[in-house]
Amino acid sequence: MQSLMKAYVIAALSVAAAGCDRDEVSHFRVAKTTPAPAPAPAMPPAMAGMPAGMPADVAPPPRPASGGLRWTLPKGWTESAGGAMRFATLKPPVPGKIDGSVVVLPGPAGGELANVNRWRGQIGLPALDEAGLASARKVIQTKAGPLKVYDFSNGGKSGSRLVAGLTESGGSTWFVKLTGDAGAVGAVREDFMKLLGSLRFE
Amino acid sequence: MNRISRKIWDGFTSLSLTIACFALLMVLVVACTLAQVRLGTLGAVNLYMRSWFYWMDLGAFSIPIFPAGATVGLVLMLNLVAAQLKRLELSWRKAGIWIVHAGLILLFVGEFVTGAFQVDGRLTIEEGQTVNFVEIPRHVELAVVDVTDPAADDVYGIPETSLARGGTIQVPGTPIGVRVKQYQRNAFLGTAGPANPPAGVDQGAGVGVSIQPLPPVTVDDRIDTSAAVVEVVAGGRSLGTWLASNAIEAPQSFSHGGRTYELSLRQQRVYLPYSLTLEQFRHDVYMGTDIPKNFSSLVRLVNPGKGEDRNVLIYMNQPLRYDGKAFYQASFGKNDTLSVLQVVSNPGWLLPYVSTVLVTIGLLVHFAISFRRGLRRAGAAGAPRAPQEA
Repeated sequence: MQSLMKAYVIAALSVAAAGCDRDEVSHFRVAKTTPAPAPAPAMPPAMAGMPAGMPADVAPPPRPASGGLRWTLPKGWTESAGGAMRFATLKPPVPGKIDGSVVVLPGPAGGELANVNRWRGQIGLPALDEAGLASARKVIQTKAGPLKVYDFSNGGKSGSRLVAGLTESGGSTWFVKLTGDAGAVGAVREDFMKLLGSLRFE
Repeated sequence: MNRISRKIWDGFTSLSLTIACFALLMVLVVACTLAQVRLGTLGAVNLYMRSWFYWMDLGAFSIPIFPAGATVGLVLMLNLVAAQLKRLELSWRKAGIWIVHAGLILLFVGEFVTGAFQVDGRLTIEEGQTVNFVEIPRHVELAVVDVTDPAADDVYGIPETSLARGGTIQVPGTPIGVRVKQYQRNAFLGTAGPANPPAGVDQGAGVGVSIQPLPPVTVDDRIDTSAAVVEVVAGGRSLGTWLASNAIEAPQSFSHGGRTYELSLRQQRVYLPYSLTLEQFRHDVYMGTDIPKNFSSLVRLVNPGKGEDRNVLIYMNQPLRYDGKAFYQASFGKNDTLSVLQVVSNPGWLLPYVSTVLVTIGLLVHFAISFRRGLRRAGAAGAPRAPQEA
């Protein structure tokens, strides 16, 4: 009977130990396929709408030593300190799903094409090549320097829309983005373009 | 068996121990339920149910202060086995009780098998897209991918446990070694400044970034922002130091010996010998309302190794069970063009069902035997007495 007990204990411990042996380097040979989809809704909400290099929504980052980007808020808009590399969060006075963000990342942050294609992926649009990027780009002059602006929609008022500007300064890349329901974004797009036009460094 | 051994054996087989274990389980269930508010479901279950002890943190060290689910479950299982061996007679009369006990023991074994072997993954797929891997959301890996071959990639995954241990990890089958300089399971990545020194990265997207450690995320709908500072070495020389993080979604690349490698820290991937293509996702609502009625994913399953190519409809509570995995409809997104499947791999998934069936059969058998005995007694009591001899 005691040997039976020992057998049970050994079996239980073996089961427990077997679950721990998962630290070998794995190797798979995988045929090249289409790229993985953008983060799913099960991912942290803060990750779903951010450009490459954006961590989850945690404590606000320190401002760059060169000083921060500033803007003039349109009437009715509010802003708050952001999380992680999100410099600020912008809130327009319009109902519906909409999110405004100001993000700063060191260096080129993965590059303009990669970020624009990530944004397009977030609203279900196919990737662009360099030629497509150039034709989609609109450059506006601001006190913060030339700002590259993109406006993408996946169709109709019930779809999603994204308006974003990016500029490089002092070794960092700044992203100012408005995304959400196409109707909500469309309603405040004019205000957002004024905000983009008011960008400056202080 | 001497006196002390007999006392221990009696205690071990006693009904009091069974009741004490049930009482402890009740306490654990209440504590685990309350803890889900701050720890999330998985964190609370791991802390209270799938650990051997509940530990109190005393700063420099921790001490066990309460038996957790694994200990109580093991003691209860051994108590059941021992009590059965001691008390129950091996006869048809007790067949029902034997079956019930076997079912209960199987239930405990099933929970241990689940705790040790179950892997929860996620498969995220867009309409028209083909995916052949499952992501494990709670674990990250440092992926080193040899992308030189235009037809296929060699994907090497260094698990989180190896990163946490540190040191130099040789990537098998390649001349590449990865020296882990720093690993944080959860961190805040910010721009380096006077108060936040840079992480010592000289290549890729992490140059000028500081890493500040944070406590691990415990809630269910968030994941850690993991970060690793790794120096890549090959042929006895350093190729540079990179910051890898699941926050940096674009892979970073380097070359050595005419081959190109990509480096990224991402959710752990398990590649499948078959692929799934999302043909259509449906999100049906009740007419005239926004109340969901049905979520379903029509997927095309292609397994070249078995010559399979068929369509499967996955919908609520109707998973695809294939290759030892269950693919459940879990979530969706991107204006109903993206589907998220929860993928559960559990070699012991049948055990609770078998256990429930055994307990049910055992109770029925025991009831039938008792009923038959009762009928016989009643029959014997009501039978006419034989005439008394004068």
